[in-house]
Amino acid sequence: MSIPLEHVIILASLLFAMGLGCTVAWRSNVIMMLIGIEIMLNAVMLVFVGASARWGVADGQLFALLIMALTSAEVSLALAMVVYLHRRKKTVNTDVFDSMKG
Amino acid sequence: MSVADVLSVMPLILTGVGALLVLLLGPFLQRGLVYCLAVAAGTAAGVWGALYPASYTPAIPGISFSPLARYLVPIFCIAGVLTLLYSHGYNDRHRIEGEEYPATVLFGLFAMCVLPCATNLLTLFLALESIAFAFYILVAIDLNRAESGEAGLKYLLFGAVAAAFTAFGISLIFAGSGSLELSAALDFRNRAIMSAGWGMILIGIAFKLSLVPGHLWTPDVYQGAPAPVAGFLSTGSKVAAAAFLLLLLGVAAPARELHVPLFALSLLSMVLGNLAALRQNNIKRMLAYSSIAHMGYLTLALLTGTRDGYAAVLLYGAIYTAMNLAAFGAIAALSGDEERARMEEYSGVGYSAPFRAGVLALAMIALAGIPPTAGFMGKFFIFYSAVKGGEIALAIIGIISAAISAYFYLRVVVHLYMRPAETTPPQPASPAESAALFLSAAAIVVIGVFPNALLHYLGTVLR
Repeated sequence: MSIPLEHVIILASLLFAMGLGCTVAWRSNVIMMLIGIEIMLNAVMLVFVGASARWGVADGQLFALLIMALTSAEVSLALAMVVYLHRRKKTVNTDVFDSMKG
Repeated sequence: MSVADVLSVMPLILTGVGALLVLLLGPFLQRGLVYCLAVAAGTAAGVWGALYPASYTPAIPGISFSPLARYLVPIFCIAGVLTLLYSHGYNDRHRIEGEEYPATVLFGLFAMCVLPCATNLLTLFLALESIAFAFYILVAIDLNRAESGEAGLKYLLFGAVAAAFTAFGISLIFAGSGSLELSAALDFRNRAIMSAGWGMILIGIAFKLSLVPGHLWTPDVYQGAPAPVAGFLSTGSKVAAAAFLLLLLGVAAPARELHVPLFALSLLSMVLGNLAALRQNNIKRMLAYSSIAHMGYLTLALLTGTRDGYAAVLLYGAIYTAMNLAAFGAIAALSGDEERARMEEYSGVGYSAPFRAGVLALAMIALAGIPPTAGFMGKFFIFYSAVKGGEIALAIIGIISAAISAYFYLRVVVHLYMRPAETTPPQPASPAESAALFLSAAAIVVIGVFPNALLHYLGTVLR
């Protein structure tokens, strides 16, 4: 393999940090938070695929495939909840969802 | 896959098939029957798990019915079944309809049963996330209260970030060791990558266990969720997250890099959890901060890394399940159309509903750690193992914060028995609720007086 594993991990760490930054910075918008979480999970898949190639085993690729299934389930749940709350409050702005102190 | 393999994973089959059956037959059966079916599936899985001999040979790739599973599966099943029993009457009064509620409880229970059986990181991670998925739905299931949906969304967003951290940690461990076996997590040849992976996993698990500073979601989610769901969430999912850490650690002591983060998490959770609980006037928020503190005690026992410490963690998991299910069950059984949220609403209830209030008072006394309840035994073994394991400073801080915590637990008891009634007395409890309350109260007393049977079995689990 021509790309060393270290480079893959550095790229994935950067992606993960950017995703986390997105989630934290756009705390007021649920959709942007979901996008940030997607980016974080994509970084995870990148490490799995890269490490799989480095060690010559398919386990990591399997894990990456199942993370895809997991994220699709997660996003469908989150969007269902966003639609439901949107119907109640007519917004996706999380600042409105503050009926509980905390 | 032989017959013996099928028999050894029978708890998983029973809960999984039970959940599907409930979902499929739900529209054709009466509501009571659907709950009966779900309770029967959970009970059967628990009894099977308690009676079937454990072995380390994998039944299917990634799953083996280990001694740890044999200990934890019955506990999870008891928690699930008690939750279903509490929910039936509660959901009637709160107009939570449909078969998806018992089905989702069973799906969550299925994932909990898978978790201690896992033999590789993939199964372990998927089980942990499936538990969380079931709870995202259950927390948001009450359509009549705005807080329920909000709590669900909050839990989902925090949970998804935590899942990303845990997955990133596992991917780094895979990159460092080249294997997804559980033992790979202890293979420290690539020290830098492995430490980074463990750090990420700890951040993810701190969210799941609601350890300070990953605790922010806990009070809101407990307040927003229906009371039986909050009870299941605070017991099943917390014990599962602790089991996740135990399985990753093997029976070995945590690596030296993990000592400082675990120490900080335990210290902050014990101190801040108990101090914040002092200021709460909403009983569910108070229980949320109390659960943060209790997870701090659990982390203290994990930190020691000794066999005694791990046995204390597992024993405390069982005891905490009994205590919190009794507390949240009593809150659910005492609720009318609305839950009694503020402490004042419990004034005088001790005389208008003596049995339910008695169980609530017993749960509070147990959570405060007063003998002869199980709560005392659990705390005793945790602090004993901590002192024996060399964490004397942290054990002293823990004991002092536990002493402070008695104030807010006993405040509930004072309201129940020593204040004049302010609200209308509660309606009579259903037989299912009374039976479930009796079972959890009996567990608190029996484990408190005879902890030896459980401890003896734990000795064989951690051989």
